[in-house]
Amino acid sequence: MPEWLLNVLFLLMNGLIWGLIIALIALGLSLIFGVMGIVNMAHGDFYMVGAVLAFYLFPLLGNFWLALLVVPLIIAVIAAPIERFVLRPYEGHHAVTMIATVGISFILQQAALATYGGIPKKMPDPWEVTFNLFGVSYPGYRFLIAGISVVILAAIWIFLYRTSYGVLIRASIQDQDMAAAMGIDVNKVLVGTFVLGSVLAATGGVLAAPITQVFYLMGNDVALLAFIVVIIGGLGSLGGTLVAALSLCSLEGVLSAVLNPTQSKAAIFVVMIIILMIRPRGLFGEPEH
Amino acid sequence: MERKGMVARFALTSLVVLAILGVVLPSGARSLVVQIMIFSIFAMGYDICLGYTNQCSLGHSMFFGAGAYGAILSVMSFKLGLIPALGVALLVGFLFSFLLGLICVRLSEAYFVIVTAIISAVFHLLAMDMTWLTGGDDGLSATIPPISRSISQLSLYNPYVNYYFVFFFLLVSYLVLKRMIGAPLGRIFISIRENPRRAHFLGYNVTRYKLVAFVLSGVFGALSGALYAMTLRYASADYFSFYWSVLPIVWCLIGGTGTLAGCWIGVALMSLFQYYVSAWFTHYLLLFGILILIILKVSRRGMLGYLVGRGTR
Repeated sequence: MPEWLLNVLFLLMNGLIWGLIIALIALGLSLIFGVMGIVNMAHGDFYMVGAVLAFYLFPLLGNFWLALLVVPLIIAVIAAPIERFVLRPYEGHHAVTMIATVGISFILQQAALATYGGIPKKMPDPWEVTFNLFGVSYPGYRFLIAGISVVILAAIWIFLYRTSYGVLIRASIQDQDMAAAMGIDVNKVLVGTFVLGSVLAATGGVLAAPITQVFYLMGNDVALLAFIVVIIGGLGSLGGTLVAALSLCSLEGVLSAVLNPTQSKAAIFVVMIIILMIRPRGLFGEPEH
Repeated sequence: MERKGMVARFALTSLVVLAILGVVLPSGARSLVVQIMIFSIFAMGYDICLGYTNQCSLGHSMFFGAGAYGAILSVMSFKLGLIPALGVALLVGFLFSFLLGLICVRLSEAYFVIVTAIISAVFHLLAMDMTWLTGGDDGLSATIPPISRSISQLSLYNPYVNYYFVFFFLLVSYLVLKRMIGAPLGRIFISIRENPRRAHFLGYNVTRYKLVAFVLSGVFGALSGALYAMTLRYASADYFSFYWSVLPIVWCLIGGTGTLAGCWIGVALMSLFQYYVSAWFTHYLLLFGILILIILKVSRRGMLGYLVGRGTR
């Protein structure tokens, strides 16, 4: 196999694996928007908090799987009161929720800066196995991430489309007032969805922590990418989010063969603008009623 | 009517006080007031967007940065004078806001806020990356040429000249914007804010007027950025950062949206807050975040809106 093809193949694979993590995060963003109408600017910071918690908990617990279980619990405890007591009055007013979540984002970032510090740190590799692919050694942990992400995505799909709780969430996405009128406890659905979305972001953070630098502003880049993904996929459309995440991140991966990271971000941004010009509500977005 | 009168009285009083303050104040406080006046222009422009046509943009740092670089680069690279450089900055601000407005204004509210935020984030990344043009994080420092008129020379290095130069632009911006809001154009803006669908049924091209408001606010953002860069004689990629997009929202919310002069209160309070709190507390952005939540909780119409509203209701 020629050198350049191998190179592109590896970039594509890295892009796809990164795409799976972004898909988790963007799915959370899309769920939160779909059910509550919250444009969550703090979503990237939940990802960051997840990564920071993993950085501390992994050496403490000595077990990556345990960290992967404990971090979502901590995030749930943080996220539930934020939804209930801070964001609840603004839900549905997109611009206001955006401003409020900007405030939350500043608070989370500065809290991380005050406790964790401003220097990017590297987390140890939790699974030090390398595979030999075409004569190149490839870290096994990346395959593990891909596997875990696929399992979580499948679990979310089963949860949303095959359980009675999923029906409640989907009903609330379609028409919240009607859902309430049918006797659904919307209060629980709202708190539950916000927690689920934030947990997805934080899980993405835990998975990404060993392959990126853990830094208090690491959420900004990811939030940017997740928002682009959600916009292209169509706000509130879960399938569209998944498709957009995987295709955009593979594209970014392949582009990084010829462009630097900023330029490939700009290229993706151009793709977004073109799609918005043709379809103002994204690829799979539903028209406004 | 009552409310309008009060806002106008407030604006007039503040302008007179500002005109006097320039001579009276010690140098430290004077430069703080200069900063407040510059940001007030930004805030008024933003108010046209947020307060009059209800478009909550999270991308105005882009126009601020574009104005700053438009001015600094034309002084540095093209050796333009002060006034032509300001003209270039306004033109750059116009082009930026017009092109981006074409993309953004027809989107629905949620898409609008997100897309403006994404665009400004990408421009921030590009500004950080293109160090050959922008100087990146370190920024560019320039020598600002004086304004020459035959024998007399006005240099911005003289603090009094700087003060009244900025004051002049604040005055002009206020009068121009006030005139526009009073004119039929402003009525249409308000009708779009109150009910875009009805404005559409009345035969107004809502998208076009939203674009006009967006471009107006972009141009005033660029003017403010240019004045800021000229006062500091410095521009950096940081002017494109997200923080500069959030600030105008906070100014307008504190001061009261849709009042034009009300946001001056917001700017003054925020600048004082920033000046004093950041001196003794490193994580001042933490308090900034809490402040945003409190402001949203207390009043959607801001301080002036709150005070004035009490009188009429």
